[in-house]
Amino acid sequence: MTVADWPNAKRSLDAYDLAGKRALVVGAAGGVGRAIALALAEAGADVALCTSTSSAEEALALRKVVREVRDLGRNAIEQSTDVSSGQGAQVMVKQVAKDLGGIDVLVNASDVFIAKPATRITDADWARIVGHNLSATFFTCRAAGKEMLKAEMKGRARGRIINVASVLGDRGLPNASAYCAAQAGILNLSRALAQEWAAQGITVNAIALGWMDDSAALGDPTPAGNQTVRYIPMKRAGRAEDVAPLAVYLASDASGYITGQVMYVDGGLSTHL
Amino acid sequence: MVLDRLRLDGKVAIVTGAGRGLGQQMALALAEAGADVVCASRTQAQIEATADAVRAVGRRALAIPTDVRSSEQCKALIDATADEFGTLDIMLSNAGIGDARGHATELWDVNDEDWRDTIDVNLSSAFYCARAASKKMIDLNKPSGVIINVASGTALRAYTQNFGYGAAKAGVIALTKSLAVMLQRHNIRVNCIIPGFVAQRPAPTPEIAAMMQKQARYYPVQRLGEAWELGPLALYLASDASSYVTGQGFIIDGGGLAGGVAPVGFAPEVEG
Repeated sequence: MTVADWPNAKRSLDAYDLAGKRALVVGAAGGVGRAIALALAEAGADVALCTSTSSAEEALALRKVVREVRDLGRNAIEQSTDVSSGQGAQVMVKQVAKDLGGIDVLVNASDVFIAKPATRITDADWARIVGHNLSATFFTCRAAGKEMLKAEMKGRARGRIINVASVLGDRGLPNASAYCAAQAGILNLSRALAQEWAAQGITVNAIALGWMDDSAALGDPTPAGNQTVRYIPMKRAGRAEDVAPLAVYLASDASGYITGQVMYVDGGLSTHL
Repeated sequence: MVLDRLRLDGKVAIVTGAGRGLGQQMALALAEAGADVVCASRTQAQIEATADAVRAVGRRALAIPTDVRSSEQCKALIDATADEFGTLDIMLSNAGIGDARGHATELWDVNDEDWRDTIDVNLSSAFYCARAASKKMIDLNKPSGVIINVASGTALRAYTQNFGYGAAKAGVIALTKSLAVMLQRHNIRVNCIIPGFVAQRPAPTPEIAAMMQKQARYYPVQRLGEAWELGPLALYLASDASSYVTGQGFIIDGGGLAGGVAPVGFAPEVEG
């Protein structure tokens, strides 16, 4: 009896190696985006860090992440672009591809949340939530997909797209109708693009988060709001560093047979009856 | 460092169905990340080969012949592991049989014995191992533990070749969710891997390779999965890298289950 010898096999921890990969992380100034950007850099990737707003606070936060990535010995570039505009996303992605020499990995990690009764959601609220969560994801996928399809197929990997979404893409929550709709859009956009680009070596997956420790909604002072963390089987809210290793796996050559999937990093929340 | 969170140094894992295919590759991936591995299956010669490969990467290994249809043998496997290594951190229930039994052209031709055997080997085995392993982890005062079950994409769609197998694997997914919530207070995480079609071994001849490539056109990624590709996923779920993940099923199927409403290759263009 012998052990099977696979010629393409990537072994264990080597499978997670991202040396030579060029990643674009949108929403890199936020907690989850920052953690993913740093993890990709730790695993060997060069990273373009993008924030979608032009607030001074975000710019400062982004600058800090740029320094952190460079401290890891990786190349880092920064971009401040409103990717809820298709043209904005296109211009930004082209620039990143030029600066890094291509894009192997796209991570969409920006997140805009509001909660109010549906009867009080204004047209502007709806446009903002759908625009910054769903449309921005499509626009960056479209632009990065173009760049990835241009690249030569390296082995079996041409590109990796990881869309960070929410369990609210699968479940309803009162006062979150616009957000729930946008998140559901991200999940099924990921499945559709996965089908469209599977044969070209681009995988598209989503990571669905549960309640995160920086969620504004968890500050809700009502009794039900106070009970929400206890409702999670793990009895704690998620942290950015809980999410990052899965992003590294999905960015790596080892995950080439996984596409169109939604993976939940939620402390068991979505398992709740 | 993020990659350090994937290390399994000092951990002890049991892998059932470790003698070949997916189980063998997952056992090796855990060993390469630092775990000692107990290899179980019915066929001694096969698990001895896997155990030798585990030792070859510098880890300790045991080969324990086990019929996972027997709850006594599952419990004995777990007891023997704890007796030998003093601990148990990872229980990976991979043993299962997809096509050897329960095969019949018509529903009414499946006899009770084949039905029960299909459920026993594919579903009851995961229950027996999870029950004994979780109790052992708790008795050993482990601060945390991991149970990984292996289900199948056949659980999620019609599987006419062997519907009993699909039904049993659907049971594995449901079992995974309930156990995850029940064992959470003991810090034992329970997840499952849901493979689609994955080649168990490299094609031994160019003719078989060509046949496999022909079959690959039915999968969105246009190739078959390879057994080694389960290794990095098992490592993610076995390690602290997934410490906030429980009750989940991770589908690795080349994109099939995310689509499936038209033959692969159908990409209509319609101007509205």
